[in-house]
Amino acid sequence: MTSVMIVEDDLDLQSLIEAIFSMDSRFLVAGLAESAEHALEIARTTTPQIIVLDHGLAGALTGIDAAPRLKEIVPHAGIILFTAHAELRTKVEEQPAVDAFLLKTESSRLLGLAQRLAGLPA
Amino acid sequence: MTDAETLRQDADAAEKADYATAVINILEDLAVERIKVDKANIDLRTVNEAMRSFIAIAAHDLRSPLASMVGYSSLLTENWTTLSEEKRLKFVTTIDRQSQKLAKLVDDLLTLSSIDGGVLNAQPEQIGVTQAISHCLAASGRDMTTVSVSCSPDLVVRVDPLHLGRIIDNYVQNAFKYGEPPVRIEAAQLGSMVEIQVIDHGPGVPPEFESQLFGKFARADVPSARDQKGTGLGLSIVRGLAEANGGQARHRANVPQGSCFAVTLPTGGGPQR
Repeated sequence: MTSVMIVEDDLDLQSLIEAIFSMDSRFLVAGLAESAEHALEIARTTTPQIIVLDHGLAGALTGIDAAPRLKEIVPHAGIILFTAHAELRTKVEEQPAVDAFLLKTESSRLLGLAQRLAGLPA
Repeated sequence: MTDAETLRQDADAAEKADYATAVINILEDLAVERIKVDKANIDLRTVNEAMRSFIAIAAHDLRSPLASMVGYSSLLTENWTTLSEEKRLKFVTTIDRQSQKLAKLVDDLLTLSSIDGGVLNAQPEQIGVTQAISHCLAASGRDMTTVSVSCSPDLVVRVDPLHLGRIIDNYVQNAFKYGEPPVRIEAAQLGSMVEIQVIDHGPGVPPEFESQLFGKFARADVPSARDQKGTGLGLSIVRGLAEANGGQARHRANVPQGSCFAVTLPTGGGPQR
């Protein structure tokens, strides 16, 4: 089972991401966080293999800033920056801790992206 | 040198002096104009920057509810037969909630655009302030016991009724979102104007943020604001609506704790609605 952590402060979108992963029984949502600070805390105990990370979060820390710190805790996790900020695409290319970039309006591609990062056949 | 030559020389010198003075005047005028153009360029750059920032924030805020709607509708379309009735209902309810949020945001942006463009059309009528407050609280669905109202029943304003409702509703919503109960609405005559105040007992507005309070996308970086979802357009709209109706919106601290948001509006005479 591939464990997933969702870091998203919009509860409707958090539920949407959960629902998307519930469509593939090989994934299990093991952690939910509304802030990067909380995500850093629970990453130690949930050891997610996939992290869906929003950029603008409830706390002071942004998704891009949190990504390298999450990678230190769970080095093998695939991090997907899932954001409404299209302009972050170029910034993400300079941040090696982020494995994939996806706009929130492209959520239909999320499951396929997570499957690829987890090495699972579609 | 003859007298005639001396006279001609003097005339030439005077003409040259006049010419030099004229050139200096033109140069001085040009320098003044140059300063004006430089200032206009700086102002344009500032406006351009503000517009760019406005569009970036608006685009982001529009995209968030849209993302939910697109995501849930895709899930429904692709998995309709495998989803339980309960989940389908939950997803459709979310789409409905987010579409209402999107509609409100678009409405706010269009209102702001009308205000900024100076084309907001106010249709003033005589309105009883007590009735306007009661109507607004009833429409909000809020528990009436959580708000106390102090207003003389004969107070009348001459404003656009929709604008007045929106101003009061915005202030009351903010009082509950960012402030703390008890929330009090007070209205009183102030010369030719009526002042309506919405007072809460929350943490108040940080002094460093006060000057931006009625600006577009204004959201203070304090816990009470961080925990709330909002576009930061509400107070900017309130100010625009107040001014379009010949009034003013302002904030002052509520002593010892909380905020007092006030709007002054022209008093009305004659028959009221």
